[in-house]
Amino acid sequence: MRGSLWLAWRQQRVAAGIGAATLVLAAAIAAYSRSGMLDALRSGLFDHCATGPLYCTRSDSGLPLLLDVEPLKYLGALNIALPVVIGVFWGAPLLGRDRELGTHRLVLAQGPSRGQWFASRFALAAATTAVLAGLLAGVFAWWWRPAADRSYGLFWYDDTALSGSGPRVVAAALFGLAAGTLLGLLTRRVLAAMGLTLLATGMTTLLLEWTHWSRLLVPPHTYVSAGDTPKAPMGEKWSTGDYGLITASGRHDSVFNCPYPSGTQLKECMTAHGYVARFYEANPAGDYWAFQWTDTAVLGGLAVLLTVVTVLLLRRRV
Amino acid sequence: MTGPDAPAALRATGLGFRYRRRGGWALRDCEFTVPVGRIAALVGRNGAGKSTLLHLAGGLLRAGSGELGVLGLAPGTAEARARVALLTQDKPLYPRFTVADTLLMGEKLNSSWDRTAAERIVHEGGIPLHARVGELSPGRRTRVALALALGKRPELLLLDEPLADLDPVARGEIMAELMAEAAERGTSIVLSSHVLPELEETCDWVLVLRDGHAELSEDAETLRESHAVLTGPADRADDLAAQHTVVQGRTAGRQLTALVRRRGPLRGDWHVARPRLEDILIGYLRTEEEPGRRDARERTEAAA
Repeated sequence: MRGSLWLAWRQQRVAAGIGAATLVLAAAIAAYSRSGMLDALRSGLFDHCATGPLYCTRSDSGLPLLLDVEPLKYLGALNIALPVVIGVFWGAPLLGRDRELGTHRLVLAQGPSRGQWFASRFALAAATTAVLAGLLAGVFAWWWRPAADRSYGLFWYDDTALSGSGPRVVAAALFGLAAGTLLGLLTRRVLAAMGLTLLATGMTTLLLEWTHWSRLLVPPHTYVSAGDTPKAPMGEKWSTGDYGLITASGRHDSVFNCPYPSGTQLKECMTAHGYVARFYEANPAGDYWAFQWTDTAVLGGLAVLLTVVTVLLLRRRV
Repeated sequence: MTGPDAPAALRATGLGFRYRRRGGWALRDCEFTVPVGRIAALVGRNGAGKSTLLHLAGGLLRAGSGELGVLGLAPGTAEARARVALLTQDKPLYPRFTVADTLLMGEKLNSSWDRTAAERIVHEGGIPLHARVGELSPGRRTRVALALALGKRPELLLLDEPLADLDPVARGEIMAELMAEAAERGTSIVLSSHVLPELEETCDWVLVLRDGHAELSEDAETLRESHAVLTGPADRADDLAAQHTVVQGRTAGRQLTALVRRRGPLRGDWHVARPRLEDILIGYLRTEEEPGRRDARERTEAAA
């Protein structure tokens, strides 16, 4: 086992080195950018800003006040793309390279068994990937905290924050690795495996983003306010954009039937149409973790499933 | 030494294998024994099943039916992996590794490793240790691959076409290396090759595969003695077939030249020549399938 682990490290050290360099670079940029953010916050410019999605403005010029969160969003985007990158460049060649060159025969004709050959290299890749993804997600979380859920920063429901932070990043990276590994085993060609992995992990990533936008896996909460009383403030909640009115029988109607924010016009309109309450749909800020854990379960489950399939096919395919 | 219970380098009983569940048989009903301590030539035409047999013995494939034993062990088990070395036909190596890395890999992957032997084989080929494997010529790559196989100090060495891309000098050197290995350490060697004259000098056992069957598995010297090339009148062909086994016959005009396996003293007016091993092997590789045997096989296939 130690021998095949040595070989696995010998073959993966370049990938591990590139991963480590990326991590160091991301951490350096994060440290620099975060200290800039903290300086801006300490200047007192943002002190009058209330929580909530509405921008606060500079008192002198009236321009919106914003922190520079662009670099943070880039890191979030990298974390979202992590399963694709790891799947294509680490997973696909993991078994695919040996299958293409026939070098698995060389290894198996020496000491190791099939199981050791697979287990050592997959375990090393999975451990490195998990640590790398975990640290990248950690860097994001640390960098994000001063700007989290502020109108001048980044809300939890922004794509780059929701999908680029937390445990789902680790699960997604492992899923990418498992998908690439299986496709490398099946296609026996690194380039073909890379292409298919790009497709499979890319589609899965987009599909999960779509489940976020459509709130498919984490349904939104309906906030109801009786009569024309003011609605609960949106605050940090993630609105679905679904606003409306409710009749006495409980039917939900479009907000455009009474398109008035408040006042007598609204009252008259509601009485005329027989509306008794108003509602809006949104996910509260606490749903960040609901999204995180559903994603982690889906991606982690897929990773386990694909790994099991790989192990089962190993004997027949190698 | 060749009895059923004697230790065998390679022993097949009813061995069968096919690559796809509904595909044709690459090997079928193979029965043979190669005793230990021999340098055995594995001979057969393209597609006869030589590589399949070696991959099965090396544990890269698993027998579909029947059994194959290597040194009395099941191929692919931990003990068999430690005692058997296999060099496949494509001689795969990591192209980006240096020669030194490749030998270090052998040291790391094997429980026992003879560094001096491996490095000696590489040095004798004039191959620098810092050279990248991908930049070596095919012949030198073969030498490195062979160093990996021999550095393991196996008891059974399986070589699939080891000589194919070597120049004549290197061929001689490698064969001498293998013979020395067999003589000094009693290593059993099974090597497949199409270069029949080379086998003549080196191999003392012959295993002939034809269409997935083991046609012949015999001591080379016995084989030479029991066969004869006869030349005589063509009308005596039936007499000859009644007395001996005609492996292959060729009629030119009224003259018959036949390779026969003697089943008794040769009688009659024949010109007798002692065949070379190469002639015998080519005779077996060339023979058409006997009609009777083919019928029998078709019947079993219809029944199955």
